[in-house]
Amino acid sequence: MSAFVSQSLFWLLSAVAITGALSVLLVRDVMRMALGLGAFLLAVAGFFAYYGFGFLALAELFVYVGGVLVLILFAIMLVHRGPGGAPTLENRLDPLYVVAAFSVSTLLFLMLRPIVAVAGSSGSPGGPAELSALLLGPMLPQFEALGVLLLTGLVTVVLVMGRGERG
Amino acid sequence: MMLLAVACLLFGLGLSGVLVRRDVVAVLASVEVMLGGAMVLLVGLGATLSTARAAEVHGIALMVLVVIAAEAAIGLALLVAVARQMRTTRVDELTEVRG
Repeated sequence: MSAFVSQSLFWLLSAVAITGALSVLLVRDVMRMALGLGAFLLAVAGFFAYYGFGFLALAELFVYVGGVLVLILFAIMLVHRGPGGAPTLENRLDPLYVVAAFSVSTLLFLMLRPIVAVAGSSGSPGGPAELSALLLGPMLPQFEALGVLLLTGLVTVVLVMGRGERG
Repeated sequence: MMLLAVACLLFGLGLSGVLVRRDVVAVLASVEVMLGGAMVLLVGLGATLSTARAAEVHGIALMVLVVIAAEAAIGLALLVAVARQMRTTRVDELTEVRG
């Protein structure tokens, strides 16, 4: 990939991600906000693929765009049921919150800048073969713990929803 | 360096959403934006490492992805349960934590 195409792709992905994030922040219509979140998640998956993490990009697509986003849409449909018109989202109209948030992100930028400055520019993350060798080798305990965590999360969701139905 | 700027901007937009939004669904979506920004930075920096180290970053990022998905599922389940009981999803009105 030539440098121009690579740079253009980076900026295109950045633009889509920032637009999606802005729509999550600003849009009042709840379904449009969900669509903006979808665009953001697609751009994040694009970033993963751009940096050579193909398996991670696919996982992001399946888990987020195919799973979490659909879950959010279901939650919106379950929760935002009202008699009058389309549900809207409101913001606290206080610029201090935004100033505080961007102060934190500016601090993060200043703190991480020396680390990023010494990072190289070459490297290949490898494919699913390297990843599976790692997950079923040195990182096997963490991988198993992740399975237990997911199972715990599943049981928690069932318990929470069951209690909500009885209540 | 542009990657860091974009990731920090995404993180800032997500944090603004967490602080500014009044609806729990939008707050959860903003948390996803924050985590997405952090993941982009993690992966972008991981791509600059050697193949072995980058594979480790690949594994760590995959695990973080799964944890975030579990967090989102539990958060949405809590949201639906709270909305059923309290009849609201506005964070200003959800001020009590009871068992």
